[in-house]
Amino acid sequence: MAARWSSENVVVEFRDSQALCLYVPCSRRFLYLVNLDVPTEGHRKISRQSKWDIGAVQWNPHDSYAHYFAASSNQRVDLYKWKDGNGEVGTSLQGHTRVISDLDWAVFEPDLLVTSSVDTYIYITGLLFPVKWNKKNANCLATSHDGDVRIWDKRKPSTAVEYLAAHLSKIHGLDWHPDNEYILATSSQDNSVRFWDYRQPRKYLNILPCQVPVWKARYTPFSNGLVTVMVPQLRRENSLLLWNTSDLNTPVHTFVGHDDVVLEFQWRKQKEGSKDYQLVTWSRDQTLRMWRVDSQLQRLCANDILDGVDELIDGIALLPEPDKTLHTQDSEPQHSFGHADEEALKDDFQNNLLVGRKSDQLGLPQTLQQEFSLINVQIRNVNVEMDAVNRSCTVSVHCGNQRVKMRVMFPVQYPNNAAPSFQFAPTTTISSTMKTKLLKILNDTSLQKVKRNQSCLEPCLRQLVSYLESVVNQEDSTSSNPYALTNTVTPPLPTFARVSNAYGSYQDSNIPFPRTSGARFCGAGYLVYFTRPMTMHRAVSPTEPTPRSLSALSAYHSGLITPMKIRTETPGNLRLYSGSPTRSEKEQVSISSFYYKERKSRRWKSKREGTDANNRPIKAAGKVIIQDISCLLPVHKSLGEQYIKNSAIIEPFVFDAVSLVSVQVWSLATVATDLCLGPKSDPDLETPWAQHPFGRQLLESLLAHYCQLHDVQTLAMLCSVFEAQSRLQGCVSSSGPFPQRSSNVLSHSRYPSFTSSGSCSSMSDPGLNTGGWNIASKETEHTFTPWCESSPDDLRYGNLTYADHRERERDQHDKNKRLLDPANTQQFDDFKKCYGEILYRWGLREKRAEVLKFVSCPPDPHKGIEFGVYCSHCRSEVRGTQCAICKGFTFQCAICHVAVRGSSNFCLTCGHGGHTSHMMEWFRTQEVCPTGCGCHCLLESTF
Amino acid sequence: MVSVINTVDTSHEDMIHDAQMDYYGTRLATCSSDRSVKIFDVRNGGQILIADLRGHEGPVWQVAWAHPMYGNILASCSYDRKIIVWKEENGTWEKTYEYTGHDSSVNSVCWAPHDYGLILACGSSDGAISLLSYTGDGQWEIKKISNAHTIGCNAVSWAPAVVPGSLIDQPSGQKPNYIKRFASGGCDNLIKIWKEEDGQWKEEQKLEAHSDWVRDVAWAPSIGLPTSTIASCSQDGRVFIWTCDDASGNSWSPKLLHKFNDVVWHVSWSITANILAVSGGDNKVTLWKESVDGLWVCISDVNKGQGAVSAITEGQQNEQ
Repeated sequence: MAARWSSENVVVEFRDSQALCLYVPCSRRFLYLVNLDVPTEGHRKISRQSKWDIGAVQWNPHDSYAHYFAASSNQRVDLYKWKDGNGEVGTSLQGHTRVISDLDWAVFEPDLLVTSSVDTYIYITGLLFPVKWNKKNANCLATSHDGDVRIWDKRKPSTAVEYLAAHLSKIHGLDWHPDNEYILATSSQDNSVRFWDYRQPRKYLNILPCQVPVWKARYTPFSNGLVTVMVPQLRRENSLLLWNTSDLNTPVHTFVGHDDVVLEFQWRKQKEGSKDYQLVTWSRDQTLRMWRVDSQLQRLCANDILDGVDELIDGIALLPEPDKTLHTQDSEPQHSFGHADEEALKDDFQNNLLVGRKSDQLGLPQTLQQEFSLINVQIRNVNVEMDAVNRSCTVSVHCGNQRVKMRVMFPVQYPNNAAPSFQFAPTTTISSTMKTKLLKILNDTSLQKVKRNQSCLEPCLRQLVSYLESVVNQEDSTSSNPYALTNTVTPPLPTFARVSNAYGSYQDSNIPFPRTSGARFCGAGYLVYFTRPMTMHRAVSPTEPTPRSLSALSAYHSGLITPMKIRTETPGNLRLYSGSPTRSEKEQVSISSFYYKERKSRRWKSKREGTDANNRPIKAAGKVIIQDISCLLPVHKSLGEQYIKNSAIIEPFVFDAVSLVSVQVWSLATVATDLCLGPKSDPDLETPWAQHPFGRQLLESLLAHYCQLHDVQTLAMLCSVFEAQSRLQGCVSSSGPFPQRSSNVLSHSRYPSFTSSGSCSSMSDPGLNTGGWNIASKETEHTFTPWCESSPDDLRYGNLTYADHRERERDQHDKNKRLLDPANTQQFDDFKKCYGEILYRWGLREKRAEVLKFVSCPPDPHKGIEFGVYCSHCRSEVRGTQCAICKGFTFQCAICHVAVRGSSNFCLTCGHGGHTSHMMEWFRTQEVCPTGCGCHCLLESTF
Repeated sequence: MVSVINTVDTSHEDMIHDAQMDYYGTRLATCSSDRSVKIFDVRNGGQILIADLRGHEGPVWQVAWAHPMYGNILASCSYDRKIIVWKEENGTWEKTYEYTGHDSSVNSVCWAPHDYGLILACGSSDGAISLLSYTGDGQWEIKKISNAHTIGCNAVSWAPAVVPGSLIDQPSGQKPNYIKRFASGGCDNLIKIWKEEDGQWKEEQKLEAHSDWVRDVAWAPSIGLPTSTIASCSQDGRVFIWTCDDASGNSWSPKLLHKFNDVVWHVSWSITANILAVSGGDNKVTLWKESVDGLWVCISDVNKGQGAVSAITEGQQNEQ
């Protein structure tokens, strides 16, 4: 069997039909051949003259033609002949019009080669992307394009025999089953591997969900195994996973060791007399690794567990030993050989040692004795006395002040679908309810394992410990909780059933790497930010970018944890975040593992593990800093406080503003709003000031300027001022800017309590009652006055004059004389609303109400309880300030004797009252009712 | 001047992943890998721990304050695939709702503008976005957009509430007919804009410019200008400002703010939408402001997490 693969400028190819085994990484200029039997000895290179990179390389798999290999480069296939340590180009094949993406030698005919290209023709010497000859049927081959698989018969090249809509996204790889000619496996971008029988193209046989796009999935040459590689661009997901196709829940093994993405892997043929297979992998880290897969591991891929203890023991002894690591380098100048490389080699070697060690635990023991001998006795606080002869063991666990001692008995058939029994010894201190819970957990765990004929003692021990720790923690936290408020929140339970993977493992490759710094604008004018503490440095070099996904953490696990292992001990791992004093350092996986702390970190760790009570908090958490950045914003709270002293009188607040903001703008505004410039009601008299270049046009350019500055404060204020001015000048007339709102009935229903009131609060000031001041007609005045809670308002009726109906002309004139273009009313409202929101955040609610008065579309009408008013004279129910029947004021202020609208207070006993401000002032010094009725209002009711 | 007004020592046991103040800027919520969410009263430079919320079983990635008109409500999302809504009742913070319908880590939560009611958008690594709407009486209605982003969704951000068309056409007394939109970013390197039509969420736009995972999107608050703006940042170190001038919301154009050397994790708009805070893997915080001629300039730089933001802007100089 041979293999091919391409990526950027690296191609891997090796073959192993004979003693001579080769491996070819290539740059543009060279192909490398490496003898896998003596990989450390120099490799051969074949130089080539082409500006194109090598795309795919494959050896001819037939013994008689074994010295041939094909390499594709751009649109051409070169056939190389390997002779006496030298390679020469035999023939060049050309036919494709686009780049060749893949090639495969026929399995049965030595002189047949298939290539595929983006030009969508497949030539058999001459199809599309991944292409693969069937391993059993000489005429059959499979190709894939995007998410489809096509099965071809080489005798009928015009149409595909079968068509499988296999995946939703692109298929990266496909492989035929080694023994069944109808079955194939496809790996795809859609995060799954699917298994197909192409005779049933509609439904896949099985699916392996991976949560990550799968680059390659290939059958193992032995039993029912499958090896997967995740899509390379997911950095640090560098492990290959070995699965048993009959149980796709957990991988049976993980090949850990590569520092970078695995680009290609291939099985090497069994050497004669050896039961082992070799998996050869090539990674972007520029290392070639060979993994021995012994019979032990092979058995994990088998359908049923074979017997044979001798083979087994043999297997354990031979478990993947540290394999030879080979370091190859492109001859390209940017790579330099030197000290760094040697170190890398050493590291690799150590890694491999680790792999070997870890795998020991993975080789599942088949007898109790082996299980006992393999058990990890390093579990914290656990003591196990094992008695293999009597098939039992005694486990004692101390945790806090709790102690559990139990006897575990293993039936003869164990672990083949026969679970051990658990029995508490009398020295156990936990309560009986806990005992039942614990028993259930243990039974569940053990059953789960033995169902698969796996041993269960160690998982059970871990469950036991984690349960006990959680119990102790719970006690701790409830007894010493410093925050009374949080007492109600119980600490998380140790079970975490739905999440079955471990933090930072390969399954997290689609979860983004956590933020450890951040900045956020909050409120109105604050910047809240946090960063990684100074003491936390990144474990990787500062020039290397921060990883993309959380799975990168797997590289920083202090121990190499394989997914399988993690899964069996889920609850224990999840405790990593609990901060419990008993957690073992080895298991600590957190985002902070990515960053290392300066040397002193050792100290806190040990301290932390020693006593829980008074240790200092870890400084993994930086401080959160709150900055006042309001000066960077175009809006200012101090201005907000001073703007609009009185909504209708422009002058005072303009001058307040002048002290702080651009003087010119506000003096312009003052001039522009001067009453002398007020428009006449008759359109024929003169052109309204608004049409003058210094009128609307000037204002618009001002607004445009402040828009650019995002100065919503000035924008809103300008809009409010000119709106106020136009209302004052009576622009809002009967057919005013909001014609649709002039329906009397409607207004009544919307603002029932404010009918027939004056327009602006200051209209009682006779000084302003000059010039063009025309109070709106009776029918419409309530349309723009519902927001008056801020200031005491008086009722004044204007002389309700004109009701001219030259509507169209008047409409036009109304629009023309307004300084603010009515077409943009909505935008002006948005300015005011936005500014209102900012005022709200500042806590300036009255100011907000004042600004929102000028919004053309009022906020949602008040819903809830309202005061119903009965006329004080005729006792009829009244809405508003004037009784419809007797025409008297419904509610007169006891102090100023005008009708009260807006904020008011009255005594519940005598019924007298008035404007809040007047009442407040009166009762500051007085105790009895201002009307002289003798009521002690202060005592009777609350003001 | 820019000044540090508070430095809060959160006493989290592991790294902090998010910190956010409430509407008024009086409370600070933080969340961390230690699985807890903490709330501090930070008024007047103080830092009083109000609540230490435990309920998540994995690192907590993000928190979000709801608008105060609904009460004091905080949402948090976590690696444990859960979204928890916390509420203060009678001075005590308690879990009021828990959503467990995602199959992978929930990375982002964002409350809709208050005008829409209490709606929370959540983006998860299972590729789905869920929208949780409070329907009263302690009930939440769930809508889920599955496979919103292939591989996973990393961020969600709501568009400010805008009313289509003229106000005058609104039938008075009824709730204005808002068009609800939000943006999301994901591992497919895309930013997507979602729009609610007849109660269904539909993909309206797909914005493509990043070459790696999109880590955050932030829809700029509206101050009444006709332009919509979105900021996005990515693993590829780029920060883009997307603008759309037409009312239909169809033509978005990107503008590169800056290419950083490391991943950019977070972007945040100031309330007036003219300053953008950018933070990322390089452990720095930078503030960017658009000048009058449309160029984005860095106006300050927070180094190493200890320095203060210090910059005098042009505008400020003019005013002085």
